[in-house]
Amino acid sequence: MDILKQLKKQAEQVEVLSLQNEKTTVEYEANQLKNCSVAETKGTAVRVIRKGLLGFAASSDETAMDKLAAHALESATFGDKAQFSFPDTKPAPIVRTFDKVVADLSIGRLAEIGQEILDLVLTVEPEARCNISLERAIVSASIRNQKDLDVTFKTSPLSLGLEIDRIEGDDVLIVFDQFGTTVWEKDYMDFAHRLVEKLMKARTITSIKPGTMPVLFAPSGTLALVLPLSQGLNGKEVYKGTSPLAGKIGEKIFDEKISMVDDGTIDGKFASSSYDDEGVPRRCNSLIEKGVLKSFIYDLKTAAQSGVESTGNASRGLFNPPEPSGTNLVIQPGKTSLKDILAGMDNGIIVEDLLGIGQGNIISGAFSNPLALAFKVEKGEIVGRVKDLSIAGNIYDLLKNVEAVSKETQWVYSTVCAPYILMPEMNVSGKA
Amino acid sequence: MRDRINEALKRSKADYTEIRIEEKETTRAAFRGKELEVANANIDKGGIVRCLIKNKGWGVATFNDLDDLLNKTDQAYQCAQVGSVPEPIELASVEPVEKISTVEMKRDFRDIPLSEKKALAEHYNQVVMGYSNKIIDTQAVYVDTFSKIILANSEGTYIEQDRPSVVMGTTAIARDGDNVQQAHDSVSSTQGYEYVLNKDEMVKMVAQHAVELLAAKPVKGGQYTVVANQMLAGVFIHEAFGHLSEADFVYENPKAREMMSLGRRFGKGILNVFDDGSVPNQRGTTLYDDEGTPARRNWLIQNGELVGRLHSRQTAGKMGEKASGNARAINYRFAPIVRMTNTAIENGTTSFEDMIKDIELGIYACEAYGGQTQLENFSFSSGYAYMIRNGKMAEMVKDVILAGNLFSTLENIDAIGNDFAWIKTGGGCGKGNQYPLPVGMGAPHIRIQNVVIGGE
Repeated sequence: MDILKQLKKQAEQVEVLSLQNEKTTVEYEANQLKNCSVAETKGTAVRVIRKGLLGFAASSDETAMDKLAAHALESATFGDKAQFSFPDTKPAPIVRTFDKVVADLSIGRLAEIGQEILDLVLTVEPEARCNISLERAIVSASIRNQKDLDVTFKTSPLSLGLEIDRIEGDDVLIVFDQFGTTVWEKDYMDFAHRLVEKLMKARTITSIKPGTMPVLFAPSGTLALVLPLSQGLNGKEVYKGTSPLAGKIGEKIFDEKISMVDDGTIDGKFASSSYDDEGVPRRCNSLIEKGVLKSFIYDLKTAAQSGVESTGNASRGLFNPPEPSGTNLVIQPGKTSLKDILAGMDNGIIVEDLLGIGQGNIISGAFSNPLALAFKVEKGEIVGRVKDLSIAGNIYDLLKNVEAVSKETQWVYSTVCAPYILMPEMNVSGKA
Repeated sequence: MRDRINEALKRSKADYTEIRIEEKETTRAAFRGKELEVANANIDKGGIVRCLIKNKGWGVATFNDLDDLLNKTDQAYQCAQVGSVPEPIELASVEPVEKISTVEMKRDFRDIPLSEKKALAEHYNQVVMGYSNKIIDTQAVYVDTFSKIILANSEGTYIEQDRPSVVMGTTAIARDGDNVQQAHDSVSSTQGYEYVLNKDEMVKMVAQHAVELLAAKPVKGGQYTVVANQMLAGVFIHEAFGHLSEADFVYENPKAREMMSLGRRFGKGILNVFDDGSVPNQRGTTLYDDEGTPARRNWLIQNGELVGRLHSRQTAGKMGEKASGNARAINYRFAPIVRMTNTAIENGTTSFEDMIKDIELGIYACEAYGGQTQLENFSFSSGYAYMIRNGKMAEMVKDVILAGNLFSTLENIDAIGNDFAWIKTGGGCGKGNQYPLPVGMGAPHIRIQNVVIGGE
């Protein structure tokens, strides 16, 4: 018998998530096409609310549905008091996340794209070693609940990951980026071109005297700021009181040049879909507007706990209950062109990549990282790569005073879109 | 099942075929703050077929539906056809093994009702919450997993092994105005439920550290003599050095190979480092790895000299060395890659008192949040730390992040403690997409000169 029907007899509320995932991966290791794989994943996750208490269980064993139902009910006997209801069907935005062109990409075609990327890099940097991962999946998720909600969505994520190592004597440089989309993108090579450009710019090595100076975060470098911030904006951290932003809705927390949205409704983007993982429509959430804190992100549970509505940000894997999670994070462009920003820098650095992002006490906003790739700017010109430097600070202090935000923005690491952000001064440390 | 596996192996057209089937049950009871997040059980069952065509490459198929092994084996074979390696892939030879081993725990956690596990997590959670009114958030997570794994290959290996694990972890988050600090600790075992009982002292320390960190000042950036406690020393040798010892890092990379050439000096004569999956009952203990190679002790540094590295059959074959028992996968969704098991700095002779007594200005750094390495550059953060002034322990400091170059840092280790301990925490290591893999770490206290500490 259908597990939803069966559990409806034993619990007030039931939600059944069925996941089906088919994934093809082609991997180049050290410039060689060495590994190809196909993966099929199937599984069912169940949440029940019985006598007001929430239970959860999941299984990838299709022959064990009775055990799954029993596990879910047992879990509910200890469960937390559920303050929310599974949702009714609501109209959702139409978001393009499935493309037959992507879904039909054959293993051979993925291998060709890999070769194209490899040729691009090796033409410019014959000594470089590339690890390339090309992954194409077809994901179907269906969410049903006792209110007759029956949402099925299909996405066709394509992700191209490129890591380039260049080792010359004692000089080591590793750069990485990932391009992700759910609809076919004719400019799929752009991300690789940008990485190669970085490598070429890094050929000239120069030095800078450590100390206080302007620091320009490139879009890839803004990850150091975005990561703590996305934790601080998470409704769960806010409800638990750990977010430094708790209780500050409506307050001006940052420089007015900073605006940010979480937008799960952008066509074709990696973290986009019509519905979230609880069947709530995705939407575009304005989080920070001209420096003023506007909203946090929530799933059903944390929204109910906080007395607000879900923002459509539930995210889950098969084996875990939903949690609020950011989708596509977009820092809005500013008013200054990158050219003008650079022209105004007399002596400073551009931060492209940092080592060890996300470690440490990041919920507090504090970070301290060596710079994996940084460039020196002298009298408005990028003059070369600088090494053995590190920066430290707290994003909640830094973002209060931003010198400039560029007009130009860039998607990096598949789900973040960011401009260049100039901090008027930061302490850059290193061996003098 | 065994017959079906044998049938699929026999019919495979590949040069080498390997099948791994896993059945895993996980029980979890997690509290966060005042609330129970979840108390439940999950079932994960699936398999992987891996085929090698020597002059093409590897093909892999993973699946949940175990009924169709023949078809899956063919899919993996078709995938292997796509590869185009310039030189044939030769696997290092390993004696085929037939072995069926089952684990007996003292108190088998599968016999403990979920209600009891939930009560245990709740108890520890209350210990943390009740420590101080400055504790605003907590986590207390109990997780046990029991995996039954079958591994068979076309060379005649057939191994059934059990992998039990139980972990109890707690986190305390303390807040004073905008100042938010956290501390974490965990305990794990492969031997049974009783090892996560009676941990009130550990849990109290977590709360205490989080509250103490509220009053700690950020460390002033600069170069210091650092004494690392066992946990941090263990994480350091794992992160900064261990990953470079993984042969997949060097085997296709002539320059990295040069950097990691055997015989190169990696530290003073007092430094000895090994990886050993055969140490009984540690978190990274794996009697046979996921290619069927038996675990053994692999010396990596002896008397300050690089003497060995960690291998899969493929990396060992390529480098003309022996498979070392380090091909591991987190689960059936992944092919094995070169990973550490239990990695350790061997015990030394210096007492902790002697280690700090001559330090005028230094840092005693404890525990670790984690870290990252990029070739010879590393960065990782300690959980909490104290200044050492005039040979004595002084005030607590926070945000202590160690960064530097592996070679100079290893060379700067000038004292190794006589207080070796295996770390019992329940963390895991990430590499590629495979996280978390249970690994063990061990070390005595170590002293490192001239460490760069980041800070404002």
